[in-house]
Amino acid sequence: MKGSTSLLVLQMLNDRDMYGYELVKEMDQRSDHSFQVKEGTLYPALHKLEKQGYVTHYWQEQEKGPARKYYQVTPEGQAMLKERTSEWHRYVQVMNKLIGKHES
Amino acid sequence: MNRNDYVEELSEELSFHPDRSSIMEEYEGHIRELEAEHEVIGYEELVARLGSPEEIARMWQAENSVTESRLHWLFVLSNVFLFLGGGLLTLGYHLFEWPFLQSLWYRLLSIPNVIIALYFLFWALLGYEIGKAFGPRGMLLLKKTLLIGIVPNLVLMALTVFQILPRRWFDPLITPRFILICIVCTGLLYPVSWIGCRWGRRMSL
Repeated sequence: MKGSTSLLVLQMLNDRDMYGYELVKEMDQRSDHSFQVKEGTLYPALHKLEKQGYVTHYWQEQEKGPARKYYQVTPEGQAMLKERTSEWHRYVQVMNKLIGKHES
Repeated sequence: MNRNDYVEELSEELSFHPDRSSIMEEYEGHIRELEAEHEVIGYEELVARLGSPEEIARMWQAENSVTESRLHWLFVLSNVFLFLGGGLLTLGYHLFEWPFLQSLWYRLLSIPNVIIALYFLFWALLGYEIGKAFGPRGMLLLKKTLLIGIVPNLVLMALTVFQILPRRWFDPLITPRFILICIVCTGLLYPVSWIGCRWGRRMSL
């Protein structure tokens, strides 16, 4: 998984706490099935985000079936997300302007 | 081959990982969720969706290869080796009259600024790698690594300043001005590696 995917994961977890499978489904739905990653690679990425202190986890018992591991964004993760998304918006803005100029 | 073969294979591939059981618990949970939606999931479907067990294990291997302890000791020992190398070179220069050693000694002595710049780069890289691997949590590791890593620098400085090591050993490099530069540069090591760490943190996502 590349850095942008980690950013995407962080963004989705910022909306609500999710478990791994839920994250994959959400990513698929939000991108209209066009953004697909090998689902198994999501967990090392989540582990890395956790090691960096951007996310944390907790286990939640289910009425049926075994407990689920939910991931949650930490305040450090939120700060980093804010910083990187504003960078990303600036980048997109500049690219749009450049492409627009080129097209015209 | 069925889903059990996939799980077994993955578990075997992940045998190197200290958290194998908790990792496997997550993958098995993921497969259960898939089964709840798609009823029967076979080995090939799992490889197509999750990736092959080898592929997944490679990612965990890469993730597991950077640990706090490994990075900490890598930089501490690299610094120790730099000092040992310098010490051996100095000793060799004084004990033996090998032409290549004499030439290397004088060449290095003629570029102290380059050596100082490279040494700063080493500490900036230390900060960068720590920041990149551990994000905000890296600051604590950086302090710990710097505190231990800087011991050889302080020992050599004390030995030279208090003339326990004869200054003539480092002639013509050691002058009061050069000693002052070294003290100031040692004080700057933390800010330099801190900046490196901040930069690495930016690149951690």
